[in-house]
Amino acid sequence: MDPLIMIGAVTAAGILIGGGVHFIPVGGAPAAIATATGVGTGTAMLAAGSGMTGLITAAAMTGSPLWLILAAGAVGAALMMAVTMLVGNWVYVWGVGIVPASAKVNTDPITGYNQDKYVTPGTEGHGIPTVCYVSGVIGGLLGGIGGGLAYWAVYESLVTLPAYAPLVAGQTSIVAAMVAGIFALGLFFINAVVASYNIGGTIEGFHDPKFKRIPKGALACLVVSLVTGLIGVLLLEGGVF
Amino acid sequence: MSVAAGGGGVSAVDPKKILALGVIGGIIGIYATPFNPILGPLLAALGAVCGIIWGADAIARVASYGLGTGVPSIGYMSLAIAIIGVLAGLAGGVMIGPAYVLLAPLMGIVLAVILGGIVALVGKKIVGMKIPVLVTGTMELAGAASIAVLGFSAAIAGSLAMPAILKSVVSTGFIALLFIMCTMAIQHPFNACLGPQENRVRTLKLAASTGFISMTIVGLLAMGFNNSWWVITIIGAIAWFISIRAFLEASKEEAASMEWGGMWPKEEEH
Repeated sequence: MDPLIMIGAVTAAGILIGGGVHFIPVGGAPAAIATATGVGTGTAMLAAGSGMTGLITAAAMTGSPLWLILAAGAVGAALMMAVTMLVGNWVYVWGVGIVPASAKVNTDPITGYNQDKYVTPGTEGHGIPTVCYVSGVIGGLLGGIGGGLAYWAVYESLVTLPAYAPLVAGQTSIVAAMVAGIFALGLFFINAVVASYNIGGTIEGFHDPKFKRIPKGALACLVVSLVTGLIGVLLLEGGVF
Repeated sequence: MSVAAGGGGVSAVDPKKILALGVIGGIIGIYATPFNPILGPLLAALGAVCGIIWGADAIARVASYGLGTGVPSIGYMSLAIAIIGVLAGLAGGVMIGPAYVLLAPLMGIVLAVILGGIVALVGKKIVGMKIPVLVTGTMELAGAASIAVLGFSAAIAGSLAMPAILKSVVSTGFIALLFIMCTMAIQHPFNACLGPQENRVRTLKLAASTGFISMTIVGLLAMGFNNSWWVITIIGAIAWFISIRAFLEASKEEAASMEWGGMWPKEEEH
């Protein structure tokens, strides 16, 4: 594959990942004690969970057409996010004993239910209400497409080189898949953390006022992924030894 | 979100000394790999531990300002940068010609430092983070993380060449383990010790223990690839025991008091 296409694909993947992080309801430490809306952990852990699942499902489709790899990555990452939020909500509802409610909006934009009545005084909301859940699934889909795109671009570039050729012609090259996987995972973490710096730690989803910062986050992720893609081209040079 | 927000403060340890330990110890250890089949991988693993201690000090200096995203996030990011830089450097070193085996590791570290610098500059200029040491800190962290990854990879493969590392570290999947393990080793010490009473000497004692326990695991991973795996494992385990004891004693000395509360009562008292 042309190295320029690879750089372009990695850059686009980075923007998708960074944009996707803005949708995910990251609650951080306050959410862990149910005093803020969202999943009670940081972006890095959510990125690790959904990113790795997305990459595994994308890598399982190696050799298939691009759309199938992207769809597999998106479904894997979104499923992991959905399961994390669902089980988190069980713990919040039946363990902590709170009603999922958002403090950022008066009525849930999707269900139209009242929110402000249910927010415990002194907290920033709690649990994962419907709008946050839907937003998180969208974030997982975007991130998974990004991870799958980066994996596909690096794998397809590497597999044509002699050092990375598959042991049996026509089968998956394990070395190329591992290098592409770890590269995509690295890209996922870099963009997830840059995006979370832009958010400033916690966000509820697309209805949160902080979501308006997304253009700045996408620009930051564009620059970072472009440089990462340029460095990634060096990987192709090593395939000729 | 971070409790350590406030930043700055005088560190009990001179950062320049830790930087020198990480850079010099790390690079000597990595470059000593090819010279002896038994001592080489051992020195590479020790070099990686120097890198981890340097990384733990660097993360303590950056994260004491309060990142807003927690200490682990910058640890994961620096390891991601380091792995991309190291793999690209090792592979891209081929362009230099026959001398590539010698120059490629250095190229990997330099690439990681450059990428770290760019990410931090983006964080400062585009995102608008207000941490004065963000750029130098992230560059140091990326360098430390790349030394840790390179050292452990060389200790497993017993060589610094890209084909050997691809065969024994990347295609076996150990690279993903190194990713998470080095992240934990670098970010855990400050994440565990942060707070107003943080003593950098104590934090670094914990960093030494996380580094040495990673070295022990790397020794076990190297079992199928070189003959010095048992040397790495035994020395790592002994050094881990010494350093974790030193850390526990330091914690005991600095604690206000320690009491054994006994087990919880058998029946709940209402």
